[in-house]
Amino acid sequence: MLNTVKGLMLTLASTFKGLRHPVTQQYPTVPTPVKPRFMGFPALTWDDDTPEPFCTGCMVCIRHCPTQCMSATMKDNPLNEEGKSSRKKIIDFFEINLNRCILCGICVEVCNFDAIVMSHEHEMSTSDRNGGRVDLPALLQIGRKYQAETGWIPPSVLEKQRKEAAAAQQRQEVAAAESGDDSQ
Amino acid sequence: MAAFTLLAVGLIDVAWIVASLLAMFVGLSIVVLALTWLERKVLGRLQLRLGPTRTGPMGLMQPIADAIKLILKEDILPSASDKVIFWVAPVIVVVSAFMIWVTIPAGPGLVIQNLDLGLFYITAFAVVGILGLVLAGWGSANKYGILGGLRAAAQLISYEIPIILVVVAVAMLAQSLDLQVIVEHQNPVLHVVVLPLGMVIFFIAGLAEVGRTPFDIYHAESEVVGGPFVEYSGAHWAVFFLAEYINTFAIAALASILFLGGWLGPGPAWLGVVWFLLKVFALVLVVFWVRGTLPRLRIDQLMAFAWKVMVPLGFYTIIITAVYLFYDWPAWTLTLMSLAGLSVVGYLIYRRVMAPVKLVKEIKARQAQQLAQRQRAQ
Repeated sequence: MLNTVKGLMLTLASTFKGLRHPVTQQYPTVPTPVKPRFMGFPALTWDDDTPEPFCTGCMVCIRHCPTQCMSATMKDNPLNEEGKSSRKKIIDFFEINLNRCILCGICVEVCNFDAIVMSHEHEMSTSDRNGGRVDLPALLQIGRKYQAETGWIPPSVLEKQRKEAAAAQQRQEVAAAESGDDSQ
Repeated sequence: MAAFTLLAVGLIDVAWIVASLLAMFVGLSIVVLALTWLERKVLGRLQLRLGPTRTGPMGLMQPIADAIKLILKEDILPSASDKVIFWVAPVIVVVSAFMIWVTIPAGPGLVIQNLDLGLFYITAFAVVGILGLVLAGWGSANKYGILGGLRAAAQLISYEIPIILVVVAVAMLAQSLDLQVIVEHQNPVLHVVVLPLGMVIFFIAGLAEVGRTPFDIYHAESEVVGGPFVEYSGAHWAVFFLAEYINTFAIAALASILFLGGWLGPGPAWLGVVWFLLKVFALVLVVFWVRGTLPRLRIDQLMAFAWKVMVPLGFYTIIITAVYLFYDWPAWTLTLMSLAGLSVVGYLIYRRVMAPVKLVKEIKARQAQQLAQRQRAQ
């Protein structure tokens, strides 16, 4: 008996809540909210300092991909011969078949050059059979958009910063301990 | 010459009645379509979602989309069915639903045909609808349809009795069966204040009469695939659907007339229609609210509730009204007696509903005791 009344009060409260904040997202007219660590399709990143892609074409990601959806070729880096870049080789041709990509992120894990990221793109359906095959300019474009959206810092740079901060912290602690010994 | 004027006057009367009937028909259809939209929106918001939004602005074209879909569906006629009965059943249900509205006053004098026996007429036509349901089940030539039809008839007949008892109590209070007199009688004090038990019984039994959740087991699609309506498709089924909403609106209107004072309210007399509509829509929203909250009762729970709770409460209502009238007690005694009846019944139901919980506790306590004994013996 009492539970009926409690239930009615609950639905009355939820009616007012539903009038103000229904949980429905009217998808096509409203974009899906995407969390920062959302794993969409893979994309290639761009190094703004020496303007060129991070990717050197080393093929590690291609070898480790479970569905073998990627292919690439490398070439000698013209910017390296001019002395503007430390990368001896650079990516020449890169293709991902997004129909086969399972968004596992293994390519990102094994990459040694911070060259590939899981972007936030997830709405890339096309109506032609080969529309899922994306080439290098498109991948770089998606990567650039991802970098701008999230303020992406290469993980190796982040790792270096973290190590320096840890080393500085340790030096500070050692100095504090020494000065403490001195004072005694 | 005199005969000619008489004929002319008679024709004008007939024309007037036909016009008002048409207006009622059209108005009710529009209101019922609007109710289907309102129900989906209210249920949606209650469930933290939006309800129809894409068909027209705010989903306002949804009832029209539903109507078009239903009309365009293939009209199935089972080969073994009795064609005449199959065809006539929805007609009976919807005509009886419309007939009730002929005597319901929306304002002082705003009624198609006021009858001295208004309440009697209404309860009589509510029963005619039940015949339509049984015929629907029989005409389907489907075992489950027939059983569903009989079950629907059982449920609706059982809940007619508390309704009639409460209606008799209200008639005793107002000393008339005329709906307009009943509304006028509530001028200082509404019947709901004097007889709250009556309002509760009328509302709950009315929900069951219409076949609304939590009493809609007989035509629930997920439970019995439509019950007596299982073989009806498209426009045929739409007629039953329409009849259900007309009945819901009628129960809300009757409850507001019998207990909430119909068109009475502060302000000038022409505002009466507005008050009436406001009260009816408030009650309709409560019906939707109850639908969105409570799960269905099983048919045996439903029937037990009708015969073991509603009917005795109905008799109790008549007895206390009669006592109040006979001994000429002040009105608040009637309120007190009805509230007492409600609380006693509520307490008994609470005891009965909590009994399994207590039994579980007992059994667990006994088991714990036995375990302790065995451990001590070891």
